Amino acid sequence: MRSLLKLLLPALIPSWNFFDVIAPSPRVEYARLKSIGDLSGDWREFRPRPAWVPPLEMLTRLFWNPRWNETLFLVSCAERLTDAPTAHSEDEIFRRIAADLRGGPEDPERPWLCFRLVFLSREGEAVSSEVLFQPAPRRLAEIAVV
Amino acid sequence: MTPPMSLEAAVRLTEILLALALIQQSLEHLRGFWNERVLFGARIVLCGLVVAGVASPWPLVALAALSLMILHRFQGPYNGGSDRMGLLALWCLTLASLAPTPASRELAFGYLGAQLTLSYFISGSVKIVNPDWRSGRALADVFQFSAYPVSEGLRAWAGRPRVLLAMSWAVMLFELAFPLTLLWKPALIAGLVVAGTFHLANACLFGLNRFFWTWLAVYPAILWLQARLMP
Repeated sequence: MRSLLKLLLPALIPSWNFFDVIAPSPRVEYARLKSIGDLSGDWREFRPRPAWVPPLEMLTRLFWNPRWNETLFLVSCAERLTDAPTAHSEDEIFRRIAADLRGGPEDPERPWLCFRLVFLSREGEAVSSEVLFQPAPRRLAEIAVV
Repeated sequence: MTPPMSLEAAVRLTEILLALALIQQSLEHLRGFWNERVLFGARIVLCGLVVAGVASPWPLVALAALSLMILHRFQGPYNGGSDRMGLLALWCLTLASLAPTPASRELAFGYLGAQLTLSYFISGSVKIVNPDWRSGRALADVFQFSAYPVSEGLRAWAGRPRVLLAMSWAVMLFELAFPLTLLWKPALIAGLVVAGTFHLANACLFGLNRFFWTWLAVYPAILWLQARLMP
């Protein structure tokens, strides 16, 4: 009950400090690995944004935008993992990557899945990136996605 | 001159708009994992009852209870600020519906209108004290490397410093000036049109569609509060 109140109170007494500072911004990258200690993974950005979104599609997303909202939830999970790591946020990211991969081709040579959180920030005029979190890999087949 | 909205009419309109906004969000979750489908399927049913005005106020009470289960499921809001405003609206409406006296009903609903005003004013205040916002640099950062632009093409906006400087000041000054619109109903209506356009732009450019519907749902609360404070 106390933990629920802790989650509810920021909504009932909001801070409204939207975008007060532009903090380092996370990207989720994933790789399929041959073994738990494999370092040869081909890291890919999870759900990279398209080069362009037509204006009509921008408007239709007012009514139907589940994939993007899920991606924003993963941004929240990534920020939580660097602030105060919890199994919940790690599980959520693993599950959603696994759910996307289950719909694609299988790769029996690489049964392990790992992700890492790359944070982008501005240093002077350049944008730099830094890996701030990488959990232990999990077997893709053992990640529940229902 | 149109007569001011009564408390009952404003509460009812907010209930309906919020229920529709929550239905839109919940439908998006029906493509998710099974436990999300259960939670949000139940929310759709309860929102339908709110829109229909059936068994009031119990569907609202059930929605408030369900909101705790959803908070537990995601260990916080699913989509940050928009979900927080949705929760605030839901709990204020629930408290208003259960309030034992007209004064406490007004207090619960007026709190929602006041928070809407603060949502703009505080957002403007925290930006204007930041030199990066005053120079346009912060908005350039949003376009250049934040997770929000919906396409890579939008990142090119980071290379338009004059436009971003003008946009930054327009947003900050509007947010800071918003409380002044409470002094005069036509100014408030104009302010809400500008604010709605701002949320629409955020929905298109940054995919924040939930903000658009949730903030719109709360507008009757501020219209009622303005009439209550400035009869």
